[in-house]
Amino acid sequence: MKKTMALLLCLVMVLGLLAGCGGGSGEEETVGELNLFTWDGMFPQEVLDEFEAETGIRIYYSNFDTDEAMLAKLEETQGGDYDLVIADDYIIELAIAEGLVQKLDKAKISTYDNLNPLYMGQFYDPADEYTIPWGAGIPLIVYNPALTGFDLTGYADLWNPALEDNLALIGNYRVINGITLKTMGESMNTDDVAKIEAAGEKLKELASNVRVISDSNTQDFLISEEVAAAFMYTSQVNLAMTSRDDLKICYPKEGLGFGIMAAFIPSQAPNSDAAHLFLEYLNQPEVAAKCFEYLGYYCTNKAAEEHISEAMYDLLVVPETVTEGEIIQNISQEGEDAHAKVWNEFKAACGQ
Amino acid sequence: MKSEKQKKTKYGASALLLVPMYLTALVLVLGPLLYMVYLSLMSRGEVWGFINDVTLDNYVQLMEPLYLNTFFASLKLALLSTALIILLGYPFGYFMARLSSDWKRRMMLLIMLPFWTSSLIRLYGWIIVFRSNGTLDQLLMFLGVTDSPLRLLYTYPAVVVGMIYALLPFMILAVYSSAEKMDWRLVDAARDLGASRLKAFTSITLPLTMPGLLSGIILTFIPSMGLFFIADILGGNKIVLVGSMIQDLMTRGRNLPLEAAMAVVLMAMTSALLWLYRKISRTSKLEGLV
Repeated sequence: MKKTMALLLCLVMVLGLLAGCGGGSGEEETVGELNLFTWDGMFPQEVLDEFEAETGIRIYYSNFDTDEAMLAKLEETQGGDYDLVIADDYIIELAIAEGLVQKLDKAKISTYDNLNPLYMGQFYDPADEYTIPWGAGIPLIVYNPALTGFDLTGYADLWNPALEDNLALIGNYRVINGITLKTMGESMNTDDVAKIEAAGEKLKELASNVRVISDSNTQDFLISEEVAAAFMYTSQVNLAMTSRDDLKICYPKEGLGFGIMAAFIPSQAPNSDAAHLFLEYLNQPEVAAKCFEYLGYYCTNKAAEEHISEAMYDLLVVPETVTEGEIIQNISQEGEDAHAKVWNEFKAACGQ
Repeated sequence: MKSEKQKKTKYGASALLLVPMYLTALVLVLGPLLYMVYLSLMSRGEVWGFINDVTLDNYVQLMEPLYLNTFFASLKLALLSTALIILLGYPFGYFMARLSSDWKRRMMLLIMLPFWTSSLIRLYGWIIVFRSNGTLDQLLMFLGVTDSPLRLLYTYPAVVVGMIYALLPFMILAVYSSAEKMDWRLVDAARDLGASRLKAFTSITLPLTMPGLLSGIILTFIPSMGLFFIADILGGNKIVLVGSMIQDLMTRGRNLPLEAAMAVVLMAMTSALLWLYRKISRTSKLEGLV
């Protein structure tokens, strides 16, 4: 009896495993496939469904948690396996430098001219040969005035003792160290190790205010009143602002840092034609507007702006002033190492 | 003669059956291990990966206070959790072994039940308990113990509770299995001969359940050195442990050789502690382990 049970159990487990692997086979006939690899939640399902219905191409969608995990995966597959990747500016610079990205054939993308030139020609792809921008983000401070008791105007206000144990931060150390450098009047991209270390010392003074460091769902801490203020990514800012009316946004007076996400096709992409087709489809004004309303990042498609609903317009279309922000770029290895070290020391100080 | 020959072939055939196992161990355990040691002696690459350039720099770098403190923090959390798990798990396992066989089965089911859910999801359950205005806060306020929400989540005690919760069953089961096998008549005999309850426990029960306790310690201590996601989730990412630092170095820091050196030191540290345990306890037998 026992043996039969054990055998049955084994069988169930093995079947479970097989079920997990077998997802790919036995589907209806399709014209081709497209392997998407992006952050979670980049496209509304209906946009993907419509593309599949229109072209007959089957989309396989996988996600990564960090840009670095994406790069590691591309390294592993030598630029193969995936057809279209959407990731952040600085990591794309690395991926291009390593030869993991192929040049776009713009002739295949008739909607290319819809893009907003504001976001093009950036440091990671100065001649716009490899990428198409897909959303821009500006990390901002959002706070609950009832809990903070004062209005925040800049990054420096995060150090205010009134915020003790009441602050949530994203876990991107170049950004956090970067805003610390900003409060000292330095560039986020300084290579000067002494300046980075000085910022580290200043950052340690922030430790007593930090309640939680998290890259994902940072807005939840603010919504549930676990913290009074949070410094977080654009999509999180939008989620927070749409969930609670009493929250306020602070556009830090020291200057904004912004980041651009962009789509690229890996060098050995198995279905590069499908990827081009998808890019063309995405950049139709109506489709792009739908995507950005869902995504909650600043819209990088100029033609789409007029299709964005009035309620979302201010959150998705950048006012002229914002373009003066600084983009975080790759710096020297000594600089990067100094940042990593400063960050770990900061985290250790937070845990005390 | 004939029988001896038969024996030989029999032995040879069964030895052959072990070959796949040894091969798997060699390829999947020893291989990556050696690769990690090799990686820890390399220099880091420009962008990613490493350069074939033998150096001890990575180990020298680990002597910096930042890294030493991280090892210390991990060790502290692991020791504290293990000590508390012993305090809770030993009596639990001991008394469980004294239950009727019906109740033993029921208890066993209750202990195993949480394992049917992913440990990550169970940790998120603790967030609901600990967060401001969460279950615990509301209970305490309802009972009049506190009058405003406590800030329990993202603190050190929250992390320790998470560690205990995740690892306690291993201690309970290890102690239970050795207490279960114990001949309780020995305790009766000791009591008959005039030993006090305490004396009987220290001279009979404790030595006889020692193998269970020790394997329980090993089963909780070693994982607790590496379990960093509990500190990340319940500690709000603020407590830097060796595990989270290795992850950081590997992903954001893009420094594979240093990360490998850290992993090698972590393994050496745990092995040394294991060796020490055995030396002190003078047991080579560990319940259910070796």
